[in-house]
Amino acid sequence: MAGNRPPHNDRTRPTRSPTGNGQDRGGPVRQEDRSPKRARASLDQMHTRLLGVGLGFFGLFGAVALKLAFATVIMPMEPEKRQIASQVPDIPKSDPKGQLTGDFALPDIHRATIIDRNGQTLALSLPVAQVYANPMELIDPAEAARKLKTVLPDLDEAETARRLSLRKQFVYIARDISPVQEIAINNLGIPGIYFEASERRHYPLGRTAAHILGGVDIDDHGIAGVERHFNTRLNTDRTPLRLSLDVRVQAVTRDVLQTAKDEFQAIGAAAIVMDVNTGEIIAMVSLPDYDANAFGKAPADSRFNRAVTGMYEPGSTFKLQTAAMAIQYGIAHIWDRFSTIPIHIGRFTISDIKSDHFAPWLALPDVLAKSSNPAAAHIALDVGAKKQQDWLRLMGFFDRVPIELPEASRPIVPSLRNWGLSTVMTVGFGHGVAEPPLSIVRGTAAFVNGGILIKPTLLARIQDDNSAQEADGANPDGTNTETGPGSGIGQGMKDGATGSAGKIDASGAVVPTAFRPSGGSATGSAPSASPALPRPEGIRVVSEENSALLRKMLRLDVTQGTARSAEVPGYFVGGKTGTAEKVGPNGRYLKHVNISAFTSIFPMNAPRYAVYVMLDSPHPTPKTHGFVTSGWNAAPTTGKLIARIGPMLGLFPDIKNAARIDAEMAIPLEPGIPPGRRALGPGNDPGDPRIAARREKAEKAASKAAEKAARAARRHSERG
Amino acid sequence: MAGLSRVDTSRIGRWWRNIDRVTLSCVGILIALGYILMLAASPAVAVRIGASREMFILKQVVFLLLAGGVVLVVSSLSRQAVQRLALIGGILALGATFLTLVHGVEIKGARRWIALPLMSVQPSEFLKPFFAVMTGWLLAERRRRVIFGSIRFPGMLIAFACFALILLLLKAQPDIGMLSVITMVFFIQLFVDGLPLLFVGAGVGAMIAAFAGAYVAFPHVRSRVERFLHPNVGDHYQIDTALRAFGNGGLTGRGPGEGRVKDLLPDAHADFVFAVAGEEYGLIICLGIILVFLVIVIRTLLKLMRESDPFVITAATGLVAGFGLQAFINMGSTLHLIPTKGMTLPLISYGGSSAISIALTLGMVLALTRHQVSASPISAQYATGGHWTSLREGPIS
Repeated sequence: MAGNRPPHNDRTRPTRSPTGNGQDRGGPVRQEDRSPKRARASLDQMHTRLLGVGLGFFGLFGAVALKLAFATVIMPMEPEKRQIASQVPDIPKSDPKGQLTGDFALPDIHRATIIDRNGQTLALSLPVAQVYANPMELIDPAEAARKLKTVLPDLDEAETARRLSLRKQFVYIARDISPVQEIAINNLGIPGIYFEASERRHYPLGRTAAHILGGVDIDDHGIAGVERHFNTRLNTDRTPLRLSLDVRVQAVTRDVLQTAKDEFQAIGAAAIVMDVNTGEIIAMVSLPDYDANAFGKAPADSRFNRAVTGMYEPGSTFKLQTAAMAIQYGIAHIWDRFSTIPIHIGRFTISDIKSDHFAPWLALPDVLAKSSNPAAAHIALDVGAKKQQDWLRLMGFFDRVPIELPEASRPIVPSLRNWGLSTVMTVGFGHGVAEPPLSIVRGTAAFVNGGILIKPTLLARIQDDNSAQEADGANPDGTNTETGPGSGIGQGMKDGATGSAGKIDASGAVVPTAFRPSGGSATGSAPSASPALPRPEGIRVVSEENSALLRKMLRLDVTQGTARSAEVPGYFVGGKTGTAEKVGPNGRYLKHVNISAFTSIFPMNAPRYAVYVMLDSPHPTPKTHGFVTSGWNAAPTTGKLIARIGPMLGLFPDIKNAARIDAEMAIPLEPGIPPGRRALGPGNDPGDPRIAARREKAEKAASKAAEKAARAARRHSERG
Repeated sequence: MAGLSRVDTSRIGRWWRNIDRVTLSCVGILIALGYILMLAASPAVAVRIGASREMFILKQVVFLLLAGGVVLVVSSLSRQAVQRLALIGGILALGATFLTLVHGVEIKGARRWIALPLMSVQPSEFLKPFFAVMTGWLLAERRRRVIFGSIRFPGMLIAFACFALILLLLKAQPDIGMLSVITMVFFIQLFVDGLPLLFVGAGVGAMIAAFAGAYVAFPHVRSRVERFLHPNVGDHYQIDTALRAFGNGGLTGRGPGEGRVKDLLPDAHADFVFAVAGEEYGLIICLGIILVFLVIVIRTLLKLMRESDPFVITAATGLVAGFGLQAFINMGSTLHLIPTKGMTLPLISYGGSSAISIALTLGMVLALTRHQVSASPISAQYATGGHWTSLREGPIS
């Protein structure tokens, strides 16, 4: 082809131009311009300006190219996460500080694990994926559904195929599939199928500590228990959250409580094990309970945490408060005697069930041991309404119990304005107020730990794993670090007290200076805690001397009082029974339908743990001879529980020194009156109800209102 | 093909020898890119407005086929034919633009379209190239034609009159974007034609004043400028999404069909198609697109520098300047280089009117820059001798 080319005319022509008139080149037509020179100049100017235009466009497009480079590579604007979610998977973050080493926490898990004080996992999140599809990207919906069915056996193939044929851009296929299934589906290679990484909360121990853990909703937000209380912490800090619980103790407590609940056919039960020095909750059980993995499906009654949400009239347990209050205010002393004669006030009579067997006047230790209602009412009357209110407020009985659970609710107390004589008396023996069990345990712990009102907590005091174990092992048998030499009481009768430390009436010998509020020569009756034990932190509510005295009185209740069935040899259990009749639908107290509770401390010589057991509406059994009072069901259950959990808590029964310790802890039921003092008793009864009744008449209207309020409170407690 | 024999004197053979093959290739590249990007950009938009996924793609296939045909046919026209086409087309377009004010379809507050059975037509799109050619002709004619014996043909005056008329029509629609492009093209043509520098300065000043006037007079212009000047105030959803698309693309892009941000762009198939290219094909391909536009503009301008016909120079400059400005405004506003102005990216954005109008523009550019063999006086001489008659290209004289 090229060979056939004719000469290149375009180029050769100008040289052969016969005219040589170059100016005419551009003007083949009507060249009318007068001056070809001017035309030439004008054309040159045009060419120059064309160059200018070209440069201008060069600049404009250069600017675009530069801005483009900035927008894409140099300073790119990140797309929003949701815009490219399906395209860019979350990349697991590295953990340079090694915060997660040794934990169960997985790299792509956001919610922290919850562990018990020993590192046992209570709640953890595992990775799952949600499968969804963009039907617009699918090629063959039926084929996709068939393939998915091979990996997801539960899939409804026809329904999935139908949904995948919809003209939508987003269809869920399956939720919460395992990583293995995710890989299998991915390997199917179906276009338009996507995964959304998420996590699911698991509670490997099921029912154990379910009420404390609570639960999370589908978006991983805590909705109950510590999951809710620590929701922010769990979602932001991935280090495990260490609770104060010991799952071994928790499991045993649940086991013992369930057995008792079944045996006595109770409709509900609760138990608490708390460290009296640190306030750490070691175990907290409420029955019936539920599987924490199925929180949403649990009935409301099962989700109800009787230990903190349930409001129960404390009953006789509250007599300890009355006694402690009277002693701490210096109004009553252990040698003071109180009348057990039934009190008639208005339409009501305050009496004891077994009043026939009681002496008409009982000394303070005897009042607690035998649990006399009229006597407790007398003590309360001696203290008076104002001081009683102050005391209850000080002990936290008017407030929500401080605990890291959102379920903690407000106690039910009579109106402070209608706090009449009958309120004073009924509250004195634990009726007319309704308190959560944890409040009762807290109030009791304050009397035995040296007098400090601690704040109960569900958090382990030592969050670090290694030091926690050291602390646990530091004091393997607390009972051996028993009462120090300074335990003033009973020094003199050390040898005389043999065995049961029973009915020794060492009246003259027991005149401890500690009993006097102003006693200066107290011989350091501090709780004989081993140096390793932490000092309780909180406000002081009773003096150390009075704390020591209250410990002895609590021990007396087990050795000689209503709670003899709670004794565990070598553990020196002390405590106070409480049986409150439940209020029926008509507002009257139901006979033989009780809240039966026992609040105990062990070991009493060096208190470590408070153990609370409550049974709701227990039935009599042949073994209990028809009784449904605490001494026949809650107290023996507590004994069994202490016998099982003691060794787990590093406390072993001290049989060898039992006699000596019991002697040190002993206190007479009817202590003698020290010389030079006039005891309360017959003829010296400022709070005498007959005198009071006369005064009462004037306030009759007010008292009636108060009674009404109290009844309302009782009805509330029943419903709660 | 490039080696098509010079003895091939058929119409196609001559056309192929004389046409600017580089620019023609660039036009082919742009049409191919238009197809590819429409596949990426339009389905999400179509689904959003409730049409079938393929609607935009199928329509654009037809539009671009038509456009390709128009380029080929128009590029083979003679210069005189181009003048006639521009004259007739310009009058029709002017009339149609006037008609929009009477029978126009109002979309988003402006009457710019005329509804036809299969598509809406925006007459002002066609006004732009035809007016550029007319301006070039009028300006050139005043240099060579004398009327009434001694008075020079008042080309400049007529051009200004036409320009004023168009200005009024576009302001009435309103279509400030088109108005400013036509104004700038007109000004560039005057500049190339040899407007004294004093008037050039005055013109630039007048344009700035006009822009300020538009800022004061039109609320939507003001709002766009405000948003451009204050990036942290007001709604920047569109421009932010576009910039995120570029950011997501990076150097090499996400790959065909892998764009995600593009699905959220309100006008991905039209005004923001460049962002789709950025996300899926990245910086390198986008630079290639800019280069293609630049090559068309610069190459044509360089070719014109060897041209001696004032009509060809001013007319082709006007056409190619309009084309280049349109590309620049689209890419610049997508990249937030200038305030947002709805303008299509030539041959790449979706749109029938736009595609055909650009095809006319490029076709006329190619026709005007075609190598003029018969334009040589020597060949004319030969032609008089009757030897080279067959080589003559069109009836020029």
